[in-house]
Amino acid sequence: MKILSVRDFFEYKNREFALSLITEPKTLDNNIQESQIHRPGLALAGFLERFSYKRIQIIGETEINFMQTISEDTLYDRIKEMFEFNIPLIIVTKGLSIPQQVEYLANEMNIAIMTSRLSTDKLLNDLTRYLREYFAPQKSIHGTLVEVFGLGMLLTGKSGIGKSECALDLVERGHRLIADDIVQIIQTDDTLVGSAVNDFGYFMEVRGIGLIDVERMFGIEAVRKTTIIDTQVELLLWQDNLDYERIGLTNNFVDILGINLPIIYLPVSPGKNVSVIIEVIALNHILKNYGYDAAEAYQRKLQEKIQRKARPLKFKEPEEKKL
Amino acid sequence: MIRKIIIVENKLGLHARPCALLVKTASKYRSDLLIKKDNIEVNGKSIMGVMMLAAEYKSELELIANGVDEEYMIDEITELFKAKFSEE
Repeated sequence: MKILSVRDFFEYKNREFALSLITEPKTLDNNIQESQIHRPGLALAGFLERFSYKRIQIIGETEINFMQTISEDTLYDRIKEMFEFNIPLIIVTKGLSIPQQVEYLANEMNIAIMTSRLSTDKLLNDLTRYLREYFAPQKSIHGTLVEVFGLGMLLTGKSGIGKSECALDLVERGHRLIADDIVQIIQTDDTLVGSAVNDFGYFMEVRGIGLIDVERMFGIEAVRKTTIIDTQVELLLWQDNLDYERIGLTNNFVDILGINLPIIYLPVSPGKNVSVIIEVIALNHILKNYGYDAAEAYQRKLQEKIQRKARPLKFKEPEEKKL
Repeated sequence: MIRKIIIVENKLGLHARPCALLVKTASKYRSDLLIKKDNIEVNGKSIMGVMMLAAEYKSELELIANGVDEEYMIDEITELFKAKFSEE
């Protein structure tokens, strides 16, 4: 299970979420383990039976106002009771200040409190998106990710089969490179999103030349940071005895992070123009998305023709009338 | 299949030159090589992959070799790490 340390979260994200730390730095030694966010309204009111304390707690204007309505002693007791739970982090929105006892107790009981200048609504939205992405299932795959006619195509295959060369050819034809060699895949909302593992840029190794910078060479239009992966193309070395798809009536799928991704096994041989075929795969995929399947359409026509031939003719030629 | 944990011994870490050496050595063998670091798994025969690990001094890598000549491959690669990629 992935965890996010509060210290890292504050260090890397304080700008994005406009955060500043109220409590002492020692309170940062804690971990966030859940991607959900909680608003502790009921906990403040004293109901702690089902308190989701493992989540980040967001305190907005309403909660602050509520704290002002209860007596100082009650507040002290309730907060103390709340802080008995190991809350990873509390964020107060709109840059509001918190009652002094709360800050004192947080320092005593090692619970981090930050304020954010963002509104509650914006913070909730942005933070949810960030946490969901951070805790989303992910894996890295050996392959090259390109966007062809707007479709994310994941090229895989053995080292040296020509994935990078194929991507280069596609880039030259006006398509875009997302990542070469290693693709980081994140699963969000039933889709797979692919990107590069690091932020070095769009470098690629071409055997015999060495490293090249695709962005510098072909311009910003030749690259893209992330894309949704629509289909995988596995490049295989051509073997005479292997059975390749000839009509396209069966669709193959591969399981990546629990999602069924269409996969095409593409035999390649020296001198074969793979990039044109990749373009064709993309276009065919788009046609299928729009409801047109070439293999099915042909099959239907063929069946109609066969049936027509098998049926005896219904109408006899009209006999010529004798005058 | 052989799995082996190895520690980066050269001070500069796995920068371009050691990576090239590692990949060249791995490519001599028919076995597949995977290198794992902090949940990222890369192909040991791909220079971009190995460089992407950005493995620093004293960091831990897991080598996973699979194939007919896996033992020889692991041995030679272990030697490379031990010899600090003849850098120091």
